[in-house]
Amino acid sequence: MQKLLETFLIGVSTGSIYALMSLALVLVWRSTRVVNFAQAGQAMLSTYIGFEIASRTEIFWLGLAGAITAGALLGAGVDFFFMRVLFKRAVSGPAAVVAPVIATLGLLGLIRSIVGLIWGGEFKSIEAPASKDGFTMGQTTIPFSALNLLIIATVSLILITLAIIFQRTNLGLSLRASAYAPEIAQLAGIKTARTRTIGWAIAGGVGGVAGMLVTSYNFLSPYSLDLLLVFGFIAAVIGGLESMVGSVIGALTLGIGLTFILNYIGTSLVFIGGFAVLIVVLLLKPDGIMARGKVRRA
Amino acid sequence: MELWLEARCAVRKKIAFFILLGWLLLFIGDRIDELRVYQGAQIAMYTIALASIVLLTGYSGQISLGNGAMMAVGGYAAALTLNKLESPVWFAFLMAVFFSALFGALLGTAAARLSGPYLAGTTLALAVGLPEIANQFAFLGGVPGILFDVGFPPARFGEEFTQYKWFFWIATFLALLSLFITSNILQSRFGRTWSAIRSNSLAAELSGIHSSRMKILAFTISSALAGLAGAVLAMTISLVAPGAYTLTLSFALVTGAVLAGVSSLPGVALGALILVAIPEIADVLSQGLGGNEKLNNYLPGLIVSLLLIISVIFTPNGPGENLRKHHHKKVTNH
Amino acid sequence: MIRKTRRRGTWLAATVLAAGSLIATALPAYAETGVSSREIKLGITLPLTGAASPGYNKIGNAMNAYFKYVNDNGGVYGRKITLIQKNDEYSPQLSIAKTNELILKDKVFALVGPLGTANFTAVHKSVGLAKRGVPSLFLNTGFSGFANKKSYPASFMILPSYAMEAKIIAQFLKENHAGKKLGIVYQNDEFGIDGMSAFKAAGTKFDVTVAYTSGSQSAATAQTWVSQLAAGGAQVVVFLGVTSATAPLLAVSAAARYAPQWILGSVGSDPLTLRALGVPVAVLNGAQTPAGNPSPNDTSDEYVKQFQEINTKYNTGTAFDDYVLQGMNIGLMTVQGLRAAGSNPTRKGLISAIESKGSTFASVGYSPLGFSKTSNVGHTGYYMAVMDANGDRKPFGGTVKLYTTDSGSGPVVLSTFNRPAMPAKGLPSNS
Repeated sequence: MQKLLETFLIGVSTGSIYALMSLALVLVWRSTRVVNFAQAGQAMLSTYIGFEIASRTEIFWLGLAGAITAGALLGAGVDFFFMRVLFKRAVSGPAAVVAPVIATLGLLGLIRSIVGLIWGGEFKSIEAPASKDGFTMGQTTIPFSALNLLIIATVSLILITLAIIFQRTNLGLSLRASAYAPEIAQLAGIKTARTRTIGWAIAGGVGGVAGMLVTSYNFLSPYSLDLLLVFGFIAAVIGGLESMVGSVIGALTLGIGLTFILNYIGTSLVFIGGFAVLIVVLLLKPDGIMARGKVRRA
Repeated sequence: MELWLEARCAVRKKIAFFILLGWLLLFIGDRIDELRVYQGAQIAMYTIALASIVLLTGYSGQISLGNGAMMAVGGYAAALTLNKLESPVWFAFLMAVFFSALFGALLGTAAARLSGPYLAGTTLALAVGLPEIANQFAFLGGVPGILFDVGFPPARFGEEFTQYKWFFWIATFLALLSLFITSNILQSRFGRTWSAIRSNSLAAELSGIHSSRMKILAFTISSALAGLAGAVLAMTISLVAPGAYTLTLSFALVTGAVLAGVSSLPGVALGALILVAIPEIADVLSQGLGGNEKLNNYLPGLIVSLLLIISVIFTPNGPGENLRKHHHKKVTNH
Repeated sequence: MIRKTRRRGTWLAATVLAAGSLIATALPAYAETGVSSREIKLGITLPLTGAASPGYNKIGNAMNAYFKYVNDNGGVYGRKITLIQKNDEYSPQLSIAKTNELILKDKVFALVGPLGTANFTAVHKSVGLAKRGVPSLFLNTGFSGFANKKSYPASFMILPSYAMEAKIIAQFLKENHAGKKLGIVYQNDEFGIDGMSAFKAAGTKFDVTVAYTSGSQSAATAQTWVSQLAAGGAQVVVFLGVTSATAPLLAVSAAARYAPQWILGSVGSDPLTLRALGVPVAVLNGAQTPAGNPSPNDTSDEYVKQFQEINTKYNTGTAFDDYVLQGMNIGLMTVQGLRAAGSNPTRKGLISAIESKGSTFASVGYSPLGFSKTSNVGHTGYYMAVMDANGDRKPFGGTVKLYTTDSGSGPVVLSTFNRPAMPAKGLPSNS
């Protein structure tokens, strides 16, 4: 019983970080129809910047703020300088299927190489803002720590903030409108291009948070966020790329599922377990869990 | 009647071309040093792997980030056949093709309804997850993997005929064979059908094409090619291990295909050459820039990524396209 | 028709150009492979980056620092030693690719200190080191299989084998931890299994056994190891794995308030690296480990003192720890080997020189070296050590009690061997 509870709690903590990543991916997908593999690269760069700030000031939260800012600027920059150029050029021929994916993959590799050239490949670590000791209840200590709790709290805060922005503000309305029907939105006076860039900025900032949270308990290296990308992407696909709520549900499902596999079956089957979850969901619902009947496809 | 004669003539010409190319490569193989011979074998391997991408993505329009996993299936099938059944080498390669085709058919069936990012995501998960299975079952060798020994070259070739040259011969032969077969498939009814599905699947269905069956076929053949490439890779490093078939490999394959033109079969040779040449060029560059550790580790990746981005932005359909456009302009501008 | 040929022509031209550039970047060859009148080229593959790199990535630079010191003092019969390091990220495939580069492109004279059990096994077979006659000196791995002269005619170990280590730990467990519940965590490949088989042969019974896949170590997976150990009530836990796996094991155990008696295998026990990876020094306090060398902080030892000086001068910025010590020692052994091969060294000459004279070389390790015409065995023994509250390593029981044994069924004996003195100023003058 205790193991069940432990597994569930850790799963929620892990899944909540995937949720940030998958949310960022969905944000970008909905506004640009592109899966941004470079998201992991942006998150990585933002995290390194956050690491620099955190290790100099010795305050994790300052580092986090730095990562968010860097992530937002980076996200906006990528959209403005890179994506717009890309879309003007690659629209026809057999490569149209592949070009945006390849471009963002290329960008991921580029950012990774730049990070490696600047910081090198050694593992770096950040002082966690909360203790990693498990909570003790009487004789037993469960592996769920204050840090895990903090992660869940932080992610929840961000999700609520995003929900408020999207549902209650004019900015949110513009974002949703530009993603759903760009031509009509433009007619209604919304500057769709600028709104899209803002969407990318938000996604970038969210990615930065994800990176910092992962690094609070794992080492930082140019490859340390790859897993986050893979699982974030799988989570987004499971939830259906059209729905932000779906991506969060997908991420939590994935996180809990993978932790169960880790604890009950063994470490070697974690990835293939993720694949199995994905395939099962897509076989039943090719557009993801939360997909409604008719979904907009550009 | 005349059309059929023309087709027969074209096939004969093609056979002649490939045989000639084969002799040329063998001749070159005798004149260059061992490192280049070894790299030649790698180029041949990549050629087969890239052909699988051209077929799947360039022609049938299905994006896959997991061809590395298909290569793994082929590699392991070949190694297990060779070691456990003590079979001759050619049979091992045949099993590689067979099992990866089977796997591809299964994957294709599951993936037939998926498109775009959903398909990308699924194949991505496969690429990451499949090699892990080797860690779970002892007979698959775990992380260190299983040895794959095709044996020494036949004694009649003499003492000077090195192991790597033998690899080169086998790999080149298989590459030429695969290219020949693939080129015939792509120029046939199948190739045209795939192009039709890729351009407009609704119209294709309306004209009677059974699109999901064709898509599954594309996956099957593409995986068979990838599996063969995987077996050839195993031969060149005498090893099958999960670390040889990473996500990075899958990404490299898509990169190579895009760089050379994702729908152009002749381009795969160039793409393969680029994939093997880049680490070399990066090495030379980083030595020239001072040769420190960071440069050595990250410069190749930088060059590849830059090349990729530039090529995707400026020549998304491969360098051939720009020349075509240019020629078109010239022709239409008088 | 014209358009088609032109397109094919473009492809052909581009391909030929690219092929040309590939051939053009080939380097010129030397007279005797890797040896010229001014230089001897050596190569090493090791994990400079990646999951297994912490700690081990210092070995290459340490070796290089020692070589630079020797070069500044006349080199080897006037030739300077150049060490080419290649990063293989502990992955056997990359080791093969990089070793191919070292041998076929850089054309090194010999490989020195290649790191990793699975890596060297793969390289030896795939690159055909034996057939090519390329010497591999002083491997950075203790897999006992490498001592087999028939299978590895041109390779020499330096570390005591993992089987020897396990036998010595087994005896230590019998003498000092009898009656307690034993647990073991080991890397599930030849590296870890080498030790496990020796434990089995020695009759050690473990109450909890945890095998993990190389590369899977992380905070999350270490959590599962600790759960199993704690559930099984293990009071003494032996660990056979790399340093980047020791770290999460110890850190997670501390967080879970699980504190058995740790016995850390020599490969993954360097305290400095562990602390850099986040293990609190309080956890290290009292951990036991087999050691073959003096502690890297022991400046009363002549080898350590000399190596530290070289490190300060030629490897500035790197803290002196077990790996730096090991790297420099391999450098010392290599130079002695090169000198013994004479003023016109050949690969065959180098191999027979080490076979015949290697057992008398000066090395920081306390145990005798076992090189001979029939054996590749390097050092042959360990003493047990304990870490103190500063993370420093001190001999268990106060003084060094060296035990020697073999990788087979031979007994574990207390040794009275005295190692050779270090050559003056750390510069060998043997021939």
